[in-house]
Formats: sequence, structure tokens, C-alpha cells
Amino acid sequence: MDIIIVGNGKVGFSLAEQLVKESHNVNVVDLREDPLRRAGDLLDVMTIRGNGVSAVTLREAGADVADLLIAATSSDEVNMVCCLTAKSLGTKYTIARIRNHEYTSSLAELRRNLKIDMVINPESATAVEISRLLRFPAAANIETFCRGRVELIGFRLQEGDFLAGKPLHALSDQIKSMPLLFCAADRGGEVYIPNGSFVPQVGDQMYLIGQPSALDKFFILLGRYSPKVKQVLLVGGGKISLYLAHILDKLGMRLKIIERDPDSCRLISEKFPRAMVICGDGTDSELLESENLTAYDAFVALTDRDEDNLIISLYAIQQGLHKVVAKCNRQNYTGIVRSLGLDSVISPKFITASHILHVVRGLQNSQGSVMNSLHRIADGHAEAMEFTVGPSTRHLGVPLRDLHLRSGILVAVIVRGKEIIIPEGSSCLMENDLVIIIARKSGLSDLNDIYEPEFSFPGTGNIE
Amino acid sequence: MNWKLVFKVLGRVELVVMAAMTLPLACALLYREDPTPFLYSMGIIACISLPLSFLPTKSSSFFLREGFATVGLIWLFTGVVGGLPFFFDGGGGFNTIWDCIFEASSGFTTTGATILTDIESLPQGILLWRAFTHWLGGMGILVLATALLPSMGIRSHYLAQAESPGPVFSKLVPKQSQTSKILYSIYCVMTAVEVALLKLAGMPFYDALVHSFSTAGTGGFSNRAASVGAYDSAVIDIIIGVFCLLFSINFALYFLVLQKRIWEALKSDELRFFLIVVALATVAIAVDILPQYGSILQSLRYSFFQVASIISTTGFATADYVLWPQTAQYILILLMFCGACAGSTGGGVKCSRMLLLLRAIRREIHQIAHPRSVEVVRLDGKVVDEGTLRSVLVFVGCYILVLFGAGFIVSLDDVTFDVSFSAALTCLSNVGPGLAEIGPVGSFAAFSPLSKAVLSVTMIAGRLELFPILVLLTPSICRKY
Repeated sequence: MDIIIVGNGKVGFSLAEQLVKESHNVNVVDLREDPLRRAGDLLDVMTIRGNGVSAVTLREAGADVADLLIAATSSDEVNMVCCLTAKSLGTKYTIARIRNHEYTSSLAELRRNLKIDMVINPESATAVEISRLLRFPAAANIETFCRGRVELIGFRLQEGDFLAGKPLHALSDQIKSMPLLFCAADRGGEVYIPNGSFVPQVGDQMYLIGQPSALDKFFILLGRYSPKVKQVLLVGGGKISLYLAHILDKLGMRLKIIERDPDSCRLISEKFPRAMVICGDGTDSELLESENLTAYDAFVALTDRDEDNLIISLYAIQQGLHKVVAKCNRQNYTGIVRSLGLDSVISPKFITASHILHVVRGLQNSQGSVMNSLHRIADGHAEAMEFTVGPSTRHLGVPLRDLHLRSGILVAVIVRGKEIIIPEGSSCLMENDLVIIIARKSGLSDLNDIYEPEFSFPGTGNIE
Repeated sequence: MNWKLVFKVLGRVELVVMAAMTLPLACALLYREDPTPFLYSMGIIACISLPLSFLPTKSSSFFLREGFATVGLIWLFTGVVGGLPFFFDGGGGFNTIWDCIFEASSGFTTTGATILTDIESLPQGILLWRAFTHWLGGMGILVLATALLPSMGIRSHYLAQAESPGPVFSKLVPKQSQTSKILYSIYCVMTAVEVALLKLAGMPFYDALVHSFSTAGTGGFSNRAASVGAYDSAVIDIIIGVFCLLFSINFALYFLVLQKRIWEALKSDELRFFLIVVALATVAIAVDILPQYGSILQSLRYSFFQVASIISTTGFATADYVLWPQTAQYILILLMFCGACAGSTGGGVKCSRMLLLLRAIRREIHQIAHPRSVEVVRLDGKVVDEGTLRSVLVFVGCYILVLFGAGFIVSLDDVTFDVSFSAALTCLSNVGPGLAEIGPVGSFAAFSPLSKAVLSVTMIAGRLELFPILVLLTPSICRKY
């Protein structure tokens, strides 16, 4: 597809990177020379210097024939105008990043009048993600499918867990009878799709999929079930904190927010009368101690600086807090802090990119099965996708054991009406089923892609 | 420096060069000549490249530094392996390995300087290979490789960036492999049209093929000792002259034309500058040589062909311009320095750089008159950023230094200044013929092996626009820290 990305900031760059990997034609537009040079040097994209609201620049970038335009500059207003202009030039689908809290109330009208097909709000999406983690503290990360009826949970195996050191088929019958499936395992950056003989080891990041109630039971058995989070300490009072406070407030959690800037503190205090707002440096351990850090159930670090967030989160873990979440946009730090025990690292840039990739894949297969959602797990090394089985899907009603699936693909869950099925060899796909697929490599856009090509020519062989 | 990956890419690209030898091989078989020079050469290349192309690489880090070094190494290496068929043939004037390397470097860099004295005695296969190296080198071996092998597992645009001529590197479409395919398609179609026209104008098919390959790459190897002058046909002169000019225009403009944006293409500053220079030089030389030829049409014909041939850095000849008046020769030397447009197959400093240089000089003079004035330099109505401008000035400075340096080494052979200077300039600008003894009817055979080696490197440095070769000479790329 021909894709234009306006604004080559953090989100713009990581999007371009992922889209180039999936072999789309990407044009990057930016006002400044430096980010453009960086994009041109590191990625196989075309760069155009100019203002994204100008029709001349957009036409130069090919907006008249483009399939998709993503406006991700730092200004909401520029993004909106950019989408409007592109649409009138002939771009088929437009996505705008709009993050100002004030616009959220009138978003529907804005979208209709400005002909924006999709609005993304990284800060709000991140807040939703964090709130999910706080609701289910045992998980390092958590994704939901089928409107919350199925959850995918990632957790790290610790010393003494009964899972570690023996193959999965040797687990007790009680666990085997639960409607749960180990769908992926991440061992030092290498992703495995486990079968019965897979032996989990201490330190592996395991991904478990199933009904939320069954997952609860499993974590109780594992001795990992921690009490519900009631008190949360937030450090940093930026946009994400505001969105998060909004959600947590509704859930009835008690909040304490530490923010350095007095004006921001006043603003937060105006909006959330029930929250306690402290004006001070949240990276100062003295302050954290005097605010009784250890008494909290959960700690969330959301300051502007990735490094600060990671360091104070590690400090909180050292102080014995059960649930610690840090915001960090840089992917390369995640591995380092994970080895120090900090599992829940949230990257707004990564979340946004996943949302947009889902849209791009959806646009790619306009007919065929519908992709309802896409989540990237294991630091982007694997993907979990939910599809609706359509009439064009092949091999309906054929037992899975008779099908040739591609390697690195797992049919994890089938949802048929009210029933949630963990597939066995005899299970089959039916029309209107919801099905969740785990794939080790990216690029799947249609449900039919999970099958091994039926006629493989000599020489072309396996795409793997 | 990720040497393993660099050599892996080198191996893969040399396989493309090996595959290209099948064309002259087929020609040799067709003419019932001895195919062994090509078979031996292909065998040797395969022995070296196949193991290299399967080198196991641990790290896939490939940055601009690796890109430049790879391009430099590939071209040096290609200059050597491209000379193998000449070495195994051994006829004509290929006495030492240095002669063969010189001839192959001259071919791939589209220079067209030759060490041969008796061209017509060589087999047809070898002559076709000489011309075909022009065609391959004109648009670029690596551009071809990125079109054919899109997934070398590296950021291939670094390679194309190091190989493409011009002050700024721009792609036609977002994907490098796609850009390369478009460029080569345009290139192939234009070459085919030229072959057809030359055939219609009465040239034998084989000669038409050789001359089209030479013109397309703006090289200058001919299969006749008297070059294009051997046909003595005004129509052929005009066809070849016009195609020389066509191949020395930025190929991005042809892409604009294909997209029906002809008007934008015609508005290019560089194109206008180029055409004005061609027109002025043609008229000036025509006036200067009028006494020698008598009729104004005759002198225009010879003047136009020579100007087109020299500014496009092709180097064909229809007349021995060494016998022309000094002014005409001096104009030709200026054209050699100026060269073709950026993004074409021609060499030289490039018109866009000359234009930017002139505009920078004008700004500097303005600044002396009005010290507080603020002024930007523009090209095609767009502001040229200071970094690009600086690199243009550095490039021109560097070009002149390399020119004098190479000229000095040639002068060790105790030749006249005419010869040493024009040899260095003609090699650096990838033109071919120089002045005096190395003029259109002369040859480089008399130079010492040292001069031949230095001039070979000079040609490659000129083709790659200096920096990929200069990078190889700096010790910092070998250090690990």
C-alpha cells in the first residue's frame, strides 16, 4: 500500500519502521531536516520536506493516490487540517493523532466534519493499557479479545513456580482440565509456540490465554494471586496521568499523584478532587519515603524521562511493592530492566503502532475475513490477532488435525456464540466464529494466510 | 566495521557481474570464436564469489560507513575481475595485468580510455564485453544488484546512495529496489531505441549494439579504430550525439515525463544550464574551426558531435580534435571538468554542482557588498540547505586536489604537461581521450604500470564521486573504536 506519514517524531518513526518491514511504500513528510535525514538513512522510505498542511507538499508525497495517511505531528490542529486536505486530494483513509483532552468530548463531530477515518490517542490508549494491568496485578502484560471475554496474559516464571522444569504434558489434571492454553513463550528474545513436550524454565515470559475466571483460578493455584489494587501512587502529571486518573477514579481506586510543576498540580487537583496531589520531585527517594511509598499496592512511573521512570520503578520494586508499571518509549531498555525484575514496561509509541498496524492490515484485506484486533506480544516478536470467520475462509468444518497450518501459527481460541473453545485436533472452524490466532512472524492480514499454500511450486518453497 | 557482511555483499554483487559475462560469451560462440577467456573468467569469479556470498554473518549492522566501503571495494574488485577476459585473451595490446585492469576500470567507470593500439584485430566477443562494461557501469552495478537482489539483508539504499552521482541522493519511489527497477527500465528502453535507430541509419547490427552500449553508459569504447568517424555519416553522428546528451540528463526527469509532469521536468535549473552550456560551446567551437572545414554546416556537425561527446563524458570522436585550434581544445577541457547532469550515467563535476558553486560564489560577492544581507541559495526554486552547499564546495575542492595529485604521478613518466594534466582530468571525469599523444586517435599504452594503476583508481574515484574511495584510504574505518 502507498502510505504517507506526516510528522517523523517517535510515533511516526516507529510506524514507518514497522510499515517498511511489512513492505509497504512509505513516504515521510516533515518540516525539519534532521528527522527526515534520520528516516532516509535508516529506513527504505522516501522523504519529503515541507509542511503537511500544504496541498503542494501533500501532492508531492502522492496524497492523490495514497491509500492511507497518518498525521502524527506534535500539533493536534495540524493533524486535523492535514487529514482534511489529504482527503480532499483523494487519499482513501486518514488517521489523525489527537491527544488534547479538550477535544475528546467533541471527537465524533470533529471526525465527521473533518472526514478523519480514525483518531488515535496514544496517551489515552496507554492509560487504558495501564489500568488493565492494575486491575490484574499478577500479569506483566495483558490483552483482551472478544470484548473482554478472552484475555491473554503474559507473566514471568519465578524460582519455585510449579510450572518450571517439567514438560507441559506432565502438569496435574486439575490444570489440564482448565480452559486455558499456553500460547507462546519468550526465552531471551526467542519466541516459542509451546507444545506438550515444551519445558518452561525460570525466567521465561509465558503467555496464557483463556477466560478471565479460569485465569484467576490458575494464578491462585500458582500462588501469584495478589489482592486487588486499592491505592495507587502515580509519579508524573502529564497527559497519560490525567487519562489514567480518570479511569482509576471511576474504578474507585485511591490515588496519590506526585508532580513537579505547581500549575499542573493545580490542574489535576481541579479535575480530580478525590485524588491527593503532591507537588514535588517524584524521582527523589526521600520524598517517596515520606509519602509512605511502601504502603501502596501499586506504583506507576509516568514522567517525561524514560530513564527516570525506570530507575524509580526499580527503586519501588526494591522497596517491596507488588505491582510496578513504568512508561518507557525506548525499546532497547526493556530487556535490561526486565532482568532486574521490572516486567510491566509500557511504551505509548509501541501501543500506537500496534493500533495502526491493525488498521493497515484491515485495509489490506478489504474482502475476506475481518480482523477485529491485533496485539503485538513478546516485544513485537509475535502477534495475537482476532478474526471473524467469513464465508470466504477456506476449510470450514474440517478438523484442525487434518489441516496443514504454516509453521509458527497457532489457533489459540475459538469463540462460537456463547461458547469459548480451546481447540483440540477434532475442533473445526465454522462461519461467524471468532478465532484468535497467535503468529510468530508478522504480516498476517487474512485468516486464509494461516494455511500452508496448497500448491507449492518447486523452488519457491516455504516462505518462512 | 562489519567486514563479514561487506564481503558477503561483495560476493553477491560479483555473481551479477559473472552473470553479465554470458552476453559476450554468447556473442563469442555465435561468431565461432574461442570462448575460453570468458569461461575461465567466470570460473575464477565463481570460485571467489560463491564462498563469499554464503559467508555466515552474525551481526546485520550496516550503516553509511559500511555502504561506502562496500561500494568502493566492489568497484575496485570489479575492475580486476572485469579485466580477466582481456588477460586470458592476451591479444591486441593486453601485455600485462595492469593493461587489463586499466581497460576494465575504464570500461566499468564509463571512461573509454584505452591502452589498445590495434582495436580491430580483437575478437568480437571481447569488443562486445568492453562496450557492455560501459552499459553495466553507467547506471551502476549496485543499482542493478539492488534491482535484481532486493533482499540482500541490508539497507540497500546506502549502496545506491554511494554509487549514484550528484550532490543530493533522491529516490523516485519509496522503495530502493523499485527505484532501481524503474531506472533500469528507462535505461534499457532508451538503449533499445538507439540500437534500432542506428540500425536504420545503416550501421551493422553488431556495431549498433556496441555503440549503443557505449553511448548509454556515456563510455566511449568503439569497435573501430577511427571511432564513430569510421562511418562518416552525418545521420549517425547526429543520432549518437543526441543520445549522448539524452543519457547525460538526470533520469529522474524522465520519470517525471513518464508521470506526465513534463512541464516540471522542463523547469529543471540543471537541465537548462546543461543545454545552455552545450549550445554556447557548440557555437563557439564551430566558429573557431570554421577555417578548417570551410562550410558552416560541416563545422557545426563536427563541433556539435564533439561537444555532445565530451560534455556527456562519452569520448567518441568523429574528428581528431587535437588538430583543432587551441581555443577549441581549451573549451573541450572546460567541458570535461563540468561534465554531465547529476543522476545520469555521465561523469565530471556535474552541472548541478557547477550551478550551485556559481550561485554560492555570487552570494559570497553579495555578502562583501552588503555584509549584513541574508540570502539563501536555491535550486529549482527550492532552498538548498547549507550542509549540501558545504559538501558541494568540499567536493569541488577535493576534485581539484585529486586531479593535480594524479597528474603529478603521471608526470613521473616524463611526459608533457598537456599529456599528464589531460590524462588525469580525462580519467577523473570519465571522458576517455585527452590532449596531444592521448587524443582521440592516441592510446594510453605508453604509460608505465604505476601510472596505469593510479589512473585506474582515479577513474573509479571519479565514477564514485571520490568519497567511497577516499573512505577506503582512511585508517579510521579499520579501527574498531
